[in-house]
Amino acid sequence: MFGLPLAFAAPAVLAALVGLVGLYFLLRLTPPSPRQTIFPPLQLLIGLDPNETTPARTPWPILALRLAIGALIILAMAEPLWNSLVALSGSGPLLVLIDDGFAAAPGWDRRIDFARERAASAERAGRIVALRALSQGGMDIAALNRSELDGSLRSLAPVPYAPDRAAALPAIERFLAREPKTEILWIADGVERGGASAFSTRLASIAHSVEVVTDSRGALALAGADNEAGALTTELIRSDARGPATGVVRALDAQGQEVGHAAFDFGAKSEVDAHFDLPVELRNDVTQVVIDGERSAGAAWLIDERSRRRRVAIASGASADVAQPLLAPNYYLKRALQPFADISEWRDTSTDPIVSLLDQRPSVLVLADMSVAPGPELDAITQFLDNGGVLLRFAGTRLAAGEDTLTPTALRRGGRLLGGALSWETPKHIAPFETSSPFFGLAASGEVTVTRQVLAEPEAGLSEKTWARLADGTPLVTAERRGKGLIVLFHVTADTTWSNLPLSGLFVDMLRRIVAEAGAPGQGAAGGVKAAEHGIARPPLRTLNGFGVLGFPPAQAEPIGDDFSGVGDMLHPPGFYGARDSSWAVNALAPGEKLAAAKYAPLVVHEGALAIVPPVDLRRWLLPAALIGLMVDGLVSIWLIGGSPLRRKGAIALAVVGLLGFAAVPRHARAAELPPASERDTDAALSTRLAYVATGDSSVDETSKLGLTALTRVLAARTSAELADPVALDPGRDELAFYPLIYWPIVAGLPQPKPEARTRIAAFMKNGGTLIFDTRDALIARPGGPPTAEALWLRRLLEGVDVPELEPVPHDHVLTKTFYLLDRIVGRTAIGQTWVEALPPLDPNDHAQRPARAGDSVSPIIIASDDLAAAWAEDADRRPLYPLIPGGGRQRELALRSGVNLVIYTLTGNYKADQVHAKDILERLTR
Amino acid sequence: MTLQVSIRREAATLSARLPSLVIAARRVAQTVRHGVHGRRRAGSGETFWQFRPFLSGEPSSRVDWRRSAREERAFVREREWEAAHTVWIWFDRSPSMQFVSSLAPASKVDRAVLLGLAFADLCVGGGERAGLLGLTRPLATQGVVERFAEAIATEERLRGPSQAALPPALPAAPRSMVLLLGDFLSDPEDVARAVLAVSAEGAIGELVMIVDPIEETYPFSGNTEFLHPAGSVRMLTPRAQNLRDAYLARLAAHREAIRAICARSGWGMSLHRTDAAPAEILLALRMRLSAPESGVDLRSA
Repeated sequence: MFGLPLAFAAPAVLAALVGLVGLYFLLRLTPPSPRQTIFPPLQLLIGLDPNETTPARTPWPILALRLAIGALIILAMAEPLWNSLVALSGSGPLLVLIDDGFAAAPGWDRRIDFARERAASAERAGRIVALRALSQGGMDIAALNRSELDGSLRSLAPVPYAPDRAAALPAIERFLAREPKTEILWIADGVERGGASAFSTRLASIAHSVEVVTDSRGALALAGADNEAGALTTELIRSDARGPATGVVRALDAQGQEVGHAAFDFGAKSEVDAHFDLPVELRNDVTQVVIDGERSAGAAWLIDERSRRRRVAIASGASADVAQPLLAPNYYLKRALQPFADISEWRDTSTDPIVSLLDQRPSVLVLADMSVAPGPELDAITQFLDNGGVLLRFAGTRLAAGEDTLTPTALRRGGRLLGGALSWETPKHIAPFETSSPFFGLAASGEVTVTRQVLAEPEAGLSEKTWARLADGTPLVTAERRGKGLIVLFHVTADTTWSNLPLSGLFVDMLRRIVAEAGAPGQGAAGGVKAAEHGIARPPLRTLNGFGVLGFPPAQAEPIGDDFSGVGDMLHPPGFYGARDSSWAVNALAPGEKLAAAKYAPLVVHEGALAIVPPVDLRRWLLPAALIGLMVDGLVSIWLIGGSPLRRKGAIALAVVGLLGFAAVPRHARAAELPPASERDTDAALSTRLAYVATGDSSVDETSKLGLTALTRVLAARTSAELADPVALDPGRDELAFYPLIYWPIVAGLPQPKPEARTRIAAFMKNGGTLIFDTRDALIARPGGPPTAEALWLRRLLEGVDVPELEPVPHDHVLTKTFYLLDRIVGRTAIGQTWVEALPPLDPNDHAQRPARAGDSVSPIIIASDDLAAAWAEDADRRPLYPLIPGGGRQRELALRSGVNLVIYTLTGNYKADQVHAKDILERLTR
Repeated sequence: MTLQVSIRREAATLSARLPSLVIAARRVAQTVRHGVHGRRRAGSGETFWQFRPFLSGEPSSRVDWRRSAREERAFVREREWEAAHTVWIWFDRSPSMQFVSSLAPASKVDRAVLLGLAFADLCVGGGERAGLLGLTRPLATQGVVERFAEAIATEERLRGPSQAALPPALPAAPRSMVLLLGDFLSDPEDVARAVLAVSAEGAIGELVMIVDPIEETYPFSGNTEFLHPAGSVRMLTPRAQNLRDAYLARLAAHREAIRAICARSGWGMSLHRTDAAPAEILLALRMRLSAPESGVDLRSA
């Protein structure tokens, strides 16, 4: 509105602004009351003012203020929205096209918000609104009402491939035929993939108004990951040089954990490599490389078994070969395998080369002209083959001479020399590879000549075993499946003595194919061979969604065949296909692919228009502003009318209102932070009181209650500790922190409290509380005898609780001195042992005669066995409830005194231990 | 309305405030008295003033023979001039005088009573007689202040608060002195009539205009309704600040008119703002009493 990004949800209310004119005249006619003042020389004033009879006008600032208040309220009622996109012109139906390929995924929310804003504003303007995500293809486009619009926008999600936009054209044409006035809004992703330029050309020709909105960011994607020598290298591409130039790629394992990360920097280029410097074992764990922060299927590259890097172990015949290392077969093999495999070599130091090599769990074991004698080596290789390993052998003089079972086919003794001095045959070339051969597709180079080879014994099935042959049909490479594994034999040496094959590029390619046949170490057989044999289809296992997150495959996903080598599309979304252990990866982009920026040539592109801020409801500012204006108006009026007292009151009122306003918010905020304290906890926190644990045995609980009540009474009568009434606790439920002392009678037969009780007990003891456990078993416990049921129950309770070292109360423990001087703690019985936290050992250098000792703090646990509460318990008439053993008023008094000492001990700590030193301290002071 | 009620209440309590005014008046008079001494001229007093040589033609009975015997000339013994004045005092107690603004420490009537009583005390201490015009006869007792206060209180009790803005038309005796204290905001013609009536028999005097600071500064602006203290007149002006210059000019003209009236009768006129110290104007009045002919150039801040 007026060029501002401002819209009103209820613009009709704005008509009330006309009323402001009336308000203006009304306000002008009713000025504020004059301020009255007594003025004795009034006679002198009379007759001075020529205007005194005309009515005074409201001062213009007040008039403006009041009109502004009125205007603010009216504007607020009209529900203004700032940054709303209603500024859109146009009146015809609106068709919103949304690119939903993976390139649109990173800014998806913004795109949807933008579409929602535009569609909602058009819908408010009464226009027909339709919506089409371009992956939805040729279905008919239907007009949507507001709620349908919202629902369908919410249900849209980017697809993990780049849909073909042309597929959506027929539906668009049909819609345009129905609604020729349609204006098209295309929220594009800025990437050419999917035929953007052709689509835009076509759109421009069929629609009379097309607006293309895109962000200037382009897409960022991964196009390939190579598990090369020494590093895992990923190739990053971007479609727009204005997009993010730097970032981080992360390598994830099958569980989605990060294995490593690498930084990249495009600079000004549109493609760049990122290298992960990782050990090969970790590199082989990588199943996925993602661009950090780029939520898109294109920014995730899936790595399957096939691109895993294999470990190849090389062992060769004699150590004499090492004398000329550059001519040794190892050297050629190493050079040929290095680009795509990790090589471990036989070291001379190991006595048992093959076994030690196999201990490193290679995928491929290469034996260059080496015969395997029966023994541990043969067993190890057989085991290796059974586990799916690939044994790659090269012929040579030793193999030709020896007896060996680890060959794909029986070999003829000796060998064959071609083109030598005594031969009439010329060196042979390699025949083109047959379709059944894994080498199919490689060019059989004419430069390769073979001068010598070992020959296979002709036998049935030899041709199936043959992967490559010479021009005369003799096998050059034979292979045989052995167990889960594979034996491949080159009928020539790995060095150049028999042929120049090791010097050719074909050698490298052949080795690559062979190594690719190898499964992961310890895993099943070379899947490629099996699949090639049986031609199975691989069903989708886990697929990426448009945001690059692996998940369950969508319903329309179809299995891929072995010949599938394309990129992901609607039927084959990017993801893993096949069995869990030997799945193939399909990616959104082809390796080495480039992302081109889209050219929307005939159409007008609004770049960056997507970066909208969400509309702000201005009501939340307008209404408080009106309120503040009203307050200011009131204060000004008061100030104009009244004298200073009123002015002061106004200032006070303003201050009060302001303070209330500011105080209100943090109070609510504080209230939200803490859970409300229960009334019981509040009471407990406000007054000190004793507490006992309700065991569930009603008579024991009643005794505890009456005993503690009596003790509280005695304390109030004799000491200054005036405590509130004791309460019962459930340690599994109640907060214990409010009570200094908790009495816990043990009832053996009852179940243990809930597990959280144990943590509460531990916290209570750690934070300085004292628990008195009363096993009440003094009569049945025997010193040195088996523990009683109560003692066992207590032990189980305290399992896992950090209980300090305990000792029987020593005669000089401060517990016996805190209020009364006692010899021992006495309860209903007087023979039980009371245990407290062990005091620190006596200081041997301290020869002072100390009547009392104390540790650094109050003992967190006191275990009594004399049934203390029963000795204290009195009925309502203050008569003792239980007889004592042995009995007598003196014992009851001593029991009460024990209770008093216990309570005072927990309340005052070791203060009494210091008090008993008062004499010494005084003496020192007077000295 | 509430303002008028409060003014009445204040007026009714003037007699209640009199004791403190009496004490304040004595204190102020005491302050002033310290700086003032006798007539400093020969006259018909009791006290010895000086010997002067005998002039021929004087009656011989004036010769002081004891002094003359010591020299060859004859001397005349002169006494100090000790003629007792009669001082008439009047102060305005009308509602207009009850006004006190936020700028002033005391109401105008309080200041007028304070000045009047203090001046009376000062006069009696100096040997003159002082009386309240229309209320008491001239008194020369030491307790003149209390007597005046009693007279005022009695009159207020009997007749209610005085509404008179101008002194009664009682001619003062010739050669007596009159002190009129008030705001004299009435019509200058009325003031002239009153002054002429009082000075009809030749009494000289002093007219002290007591003003509240707010009456001089006129710090009003905006929509203001002015009320007369008596409650009779009110005036509403939407822009009080516009009247300021005209008002101040008119106030100056009014003062000039009053001053002219006083000069016509040979009286002096002085101005006293209630935010100024009362001792200043009191000292000026005292000096005027001792030099009644020195003219009308007595001014006060």
